[in-house]
Amino acid sequence: MAQTQSASRADEALERVKSALKETISEPKVNFGTVDLICEPGDLVGVMTALRDSEGIECKFFGFLSAVDRSELGEGGGGLEVLIVVYSPVHFFSVAVHVPVAAAAPACPSVSGVYSGALWHERETHEMFGIVFEGHPQLSNLYLPEDFEGHPGLRSFKLPGRAVKDWPGAKDPEEAAAGGR
Amino acid sequence: MAKVGSPSEERAGARGRVPSRHPEEGAAGAEGRFKTEEMILNVGPQHPATHGVFRLLATIDGEVLIDADPVIGYMHRGYEKLVEQRDYRQITNLVSRMDWLSGINNELPLALAVEKLMEIEVPPRAQYLRVILCEMNRILNHLMFFASFGAELGAITPTFYAFREREDIQRVMEATTGGRMHFGFFRPGGIKEDVPEGFVEGALAGVRQVIDRLPDYENLLVGNEIFKQRTIDIGILEEEAAYSYGVSGPIARGSGITMDVRKDEPYLVYDQFDFDVQSAPNGDCFDRFWVLIREVGESARIVEQAIEGLPPGPIMGKVPRVIQAPEGEVYVRCENPLGELGMYLVSDGDRRPYRLKIRTPSYSNVSALSYVLKNTYVSDMIAILGSFFFVLGDIDR
Amino acid sequence: MFDITLATWQILVIKIIVILTVVPVGALVGGYAEHKVMAHLQHRLGPMYPGGFHGWATTLADGIKFLYKEDIIPAAADRKVFSLAPAAIMVPIIMTYLVIPIDRALIVEDLDVGIFYLLAVGSLSTIGLLMAGWSSANKYALIGALRSAAQLIAYELPIVLAAVVVAMLAGSLSLIDIVETQNWPFAIWPPGIGFIAFLLFTVGAVAEMTRVPFDMPVAESEIITGPFTEYSGMRYIFAHMFAEMGHMVAFGGIGATLFLGGYQPIVPIPFLDFIPGVIWFSAKTMFMIFLFLWIRPTFPRVREDQLQKFAWKFLIPVGLALVLVTGAWVLYV
Repeated sequence: MAQTQSASRADEALERVKSALKETISEPKVNFGTVDLICEPGDLVGVMTALRDSEGIECKFFGFLSAVDRSELGEGGGGLEVLIVVYSPVHFFSVAVHVPVAAAAPACPSVSGVYSGALWHERETHEMFGIVFEGHPQLSNLYLPEDFEGHPGLRSFKLPGRAVKDWPGAKDPEEAAAGGR
Repeated sequence: MAKVGSPSEERAGARGRVPSRHPEEGAAGAEGRFKTEEMILNVGPQHPATHGVFRLLATIDGEVLIDADPVIGYMHRGYEKLVEQRDYRQITNLVSRMDWLSGINNELPLALAVEKLMEIEVPPRAQYLRVILCEMNRILNHLMFFASFGAELGAITPTFYAFREREDIQRVMEATTGGRMHFGFFRPGGIKEDVPEGFVEGALAGVRQVIDRLPDYENLLVGNEIFKQRTIDIGILEEEAAYSYGVSGPIARGSGITMDVRKDEPYLVYDQFDFDVQSAPNGDCFDRFWVLIREVGESARIVEQAIEGLPPGPIMGKVPRVIQAPEGEVYVRCENPLGELGMYLVSDGDRRPYRLKIRTPSYSNVSALSYVLKNTYVSDMIAILGSFFFVLGDIDR
Repeated sequence: MFDITLATWQILVIKIIVILTVVPVGALVGGYAEHKVMAHLQHRLGPMYPGGFHGWATTLADGIKFLYKEDIIPAAADRKVFSLAPAAIMVPIIMTYLVIPIDRALIVEDLDVGIFYLLAVGSLSTIGLLMAGWSSANKYALIGALRSAAQLIAYELPIVLAAVVVAMLAGSLSLIDIVETQNWPFAIWPPGIGFIAFLLFTVGAVAEMTRVPFDMPVAESEIITGPFTEYSGMRYIFAHMFAEMGHMVAFGGIGATLFLGGYQPIVPIPFLDFIPGVIWFSAKTMFMIFLFLWIRPTFPRVREDQLQKFAWKFLIPVGLALVLVTGAWVLYV
């Protein structure tokens, strides 16, 4: 089956990624066919360049760059992280790079020098999560007006409707029909 | 321009671009030429060539585009935030509205992501029907862009031809799902309901008609001398740049890339069908359009095969009453008609996704526009914009 | 030609009135023909409802609709020039009708320099386009106006050269003389020369009318409607739709006169003489208009620089060579 085939491809790729990047990454694993790894902001540009250029990896295709705010995920929560996914059109596997950044004054080096596609993705992440991408040529807002306050992507940014009223779907549909909502 | 250019300028000329005329670069050779002044032209947000509210901030010098900066966000609806407030059933209908020309393709990665996390086995009949519907939707989408690209270059006839064929397939889709654009038909675990009577015949008739008439379409535009002059060697996107910008779909495949998620990492049952990844080497407008037209035929082939092999059986897997994805993260990539649609789902075990990052194809594709548009003619700008086949809702989400 | 007496003066007035009705009626019929011909070339019916029978009143309804629209003049526009531009576009087009012989007697004024007048007046509307484009205070309008000026200059020349060929063959500049000398239409006689001149004229005419494939000045997917972007209501109708249709009918008439034998029967067979010249002329004009309409749904648009190259590097050299060949033909054959 296709799924198992891509899983074994990812396993092989994981070994190559490990040997190419060595100490700069931590917790490399395969998650649903995607190579998953964590990398410190300081090493990011080097890691991305290595992912793009190393033989046997060649993740030339830029997938996306975004962020995940883990502050409400699980017990105790986590921090803010930048998430970059690139894909290897030569060896057919994806790599997801997680970059934890400080919650207060989050900053991360820009990878737009490695992947031109990151230019827009970093602008979007900047306005949505307030992460500053150092070295980005023009970090202006892409979607929001320039005078917009707050960062809508963060969990702490509540939609006004939800601030007034809880999510109606939290109840079971049947309970809701019986008189909830 | 009679002066000897630098190697890079000569190359620029060879690629159908105008040699740079930026003041600081051209100052040495500027004597004896007219002094020209740059003008900033706002293309959009309301402009016939932008298919919606899209703005291109163009700096032009005579007929030459010196710089082009796409401005987006006029249709930003904040889907990534909205989906955090909705459960998975509701999200299906939300994401269907991202790329309004290929609604059913948008619903697929979400369903796949949830199924992966919940480890739901989808019955083969549902998988086959998903493939059929997705590919029919792809034909609809591609025919639409076939029509609009012609119209942008001043050829109005393709529009009417394409819409005639679209209508036959559109009717089958409508009879099946009840919608013409926003289908809301894929559920985690399967599809909403089984197809109605006459679906098989209607779908077969629709795609066979498309296969029959495709050569006509190709000749109508691709065989036209004026069309060739307008598109060949215009708006070149090199392979490396396409990868670097994350350009995917027919646009990337027009640059010599043979990347297609359906072939490379087959999802659903795409590995059971015989189809080719169409690709063209030059990366110009003509090649992008050619790939688009060829893909219609490939999609029609897939639909034919899938209908022949359509197994009987249930259309819904074993799904709990309330869909609650367990804790975990998954990234799913699907081949949308316009490129790679990826969804990165982070779940905390709730009915709602904790975070759903949607990587839409048009967003990444359009970000390469400023690179491609630099130093081209204003009249080529329209051809290039048209050949990037974007949907505004897909860019802005 | 005429001794100026009161009677001829009256005849002149009647003729002018006839011409002034022919122009709008021609434009209406042309507009309807455009709807229908294009629709049928594209596997569809086109307008079917206005007027009952096959939507015959469509253009009329269109005109009435535009009559009721608000006449908007942009705040930044140069008001006087902006309001005058439609007239400056329209009047020269109407003036071309003055010398086209609809029948042997039905011509407002048979000038000795008929062709010369026709060509001179025909290019005057460029000024109107420039006025419209400049005064609109809109960049798209300006680009469109500059494009149309460049285009009209480039494509006036092939038309002039084609007309010169005809004048040489006929040995006269008077349009009546030209028609009378055409026993066989020039388009099919003498071998080759007339036909090439006819093609030159048709291509040039399509470009002059700024129709597809030479519609860069009004390319709607690029510069909205070029010089007419800011116009609305009746002014838009006069500046654009009416002018285009009027232009088309005028060029149809000119083409019929110069190349297809005008009001004469298509072949010199005596028993065809019972059909009045008006019918012959109308039929030939309609044929020309159909040619123009046929081109539109067939081709994409040519790019601005390709359009200029095509005129200067291909059409004009061909025209010049054709004039030489015609000279040789007239002198030695």
